Amino acid sequence: MTVVIGFEGSANKIGVGIIRDGEVLSNPRRTYITPPGQGFMPSDTARHHRAVILTVLKEALEQARLKPADIDCVAYTKGPGMGAPLVTVALVARTVAQLWGKPLLGVNHCIGHIEMGRLITKANNPTVLYVSGGNTQVIAYSERRYRIFGETIDIAVGNCLDRFARVIKISNDPSPGYNIEQMAKKGEQYVELPYTVKGMDVSFSGILSYIEEAADKMLSSGRCTAEDLCFSLQETLFSMLVEITERAMAHCGSQEVLIVGGVGCNLRLQEMMGVMCKERGAKLFATDERFCIDNGAMIAQAGWEMFRSGQETDLEDSWITQRYRTDEVEVTWRD
Amino acid sequence: MATDAETHSGTGRLEFSLDVPFPSSREATIALRSLSPDKEPRKGGITKQLTVTDNLLRWSADEARILRVSVNSFLDHLTLVIETMDMFGPPVDP
Repeated sequence: MTVVIGFEGSANKIGVGIIRDGEVLSNPRRTYITPPGQGFMPSDTARHHRAVILTVLKEALEQARLKPADIDCVAYTKGPGMGAPLVTVALVARTVAQLWGKPLLGVNHCIGHIEMGRLITKANNPTVLYVSGGNTQVIAYSERRYRIFGETIDIAVGNCLDRFARVIKISNDPSPGYNIEQMAKKGEQYVELPYTVKGMDVSFSGILSYIEEAADKMLSSGRCTAEDLCFSLQETLFSMLVEITERAMAHCGSQEVLIVGGVGCNLRLQEMMGVMCKERGAKLFATDERFCIDNGAMIAQAGWEMFRSGQETDLEDSWITQRYRTDEVEVTWRD
Repeated sequence: MATDAETHSGTGRLEFSLDVPFPSSREATIALRSLSPDKEPRKGGITKQLTVTDNLLRWSADEARILRVSVNSFLDHLTLVIETMDMFGPPVDP
């Protein structure tokens, strides 16, 4: 029996989760939400995490009905992500690991998402679309690495959505992407936007500049509504993601797609991906907001796999890093 | 806790030192090992040295502004580590 506690705080969510042999015992989380029109800045986010992390840690232990002695390993997000929030979380992980006398494990955030997706959906060997506010990658496993087949060459798709939400000043509660999704359902007019797939990769910063300017002109002239723009943006961005996912599937001869990351909660994206999968006779896997959105249990799960395959992070090597490629990690727990 | 800020006449850099007392050297070592792995975000212009002998920390910086930012962050981080130790300590027997 192996029990792992995982700490996650690379963006505006702070979560602590406990996993015992594939069972999620607890997964409490808090989100730092900024006023409409504002994004979250590193030092404010770190301050938020500092204020709540010990409370969330206590909740995780209480909800799992465990004592520190029951924990076998302390996992935390080594990167990628925002520097100050990552440090805040790593400090607590390092300290409790030493206080409790447990081994420490630095986990790659992207791999946390993948391993949680695999655990929850039981997908066998899927092509993974990892889409969030900070990352956009198409990943497939091959020979001990999660290989990046395609990715954004500039900003993440979630970042594009979040920054558009700021322009039209919609609420960030519970998340800007969620509110765009609700507004998109009421869109009636499709506004043509640039479509920028670059081979296996995608680009979003041009679409963002275009729609920021269009929003200004078209909304003030009444040519379209904010709902129309939300709808058009989603259709464009998600079509691009479906295209590059399909391209990777064709390369790998894959019959499974797994969507992970906060943007993976979006039901329209799941619907569009589902249509493509059906056409190819492939199966689509996705998780709900408990696990799509950054959470501690996903770090615990990746940590569980890494720990059981013999990995451990020395304290001197436990520094956090803002850049950490998914393919840098040796996937020792898979053949 | 004793602090000292002065301009070191030799190098022209600002020096700052901070004494942080801990109930035991074991706890001081735990705090040190939690606080030392991350590099200073700023490349160049600041160095800091943490040691457990007498629980003394030393900084050396080119500008007061850079020093202030680094010491400020450090004090926030130190507070968090101490709060964690208060809530989840004392350390188990090794």
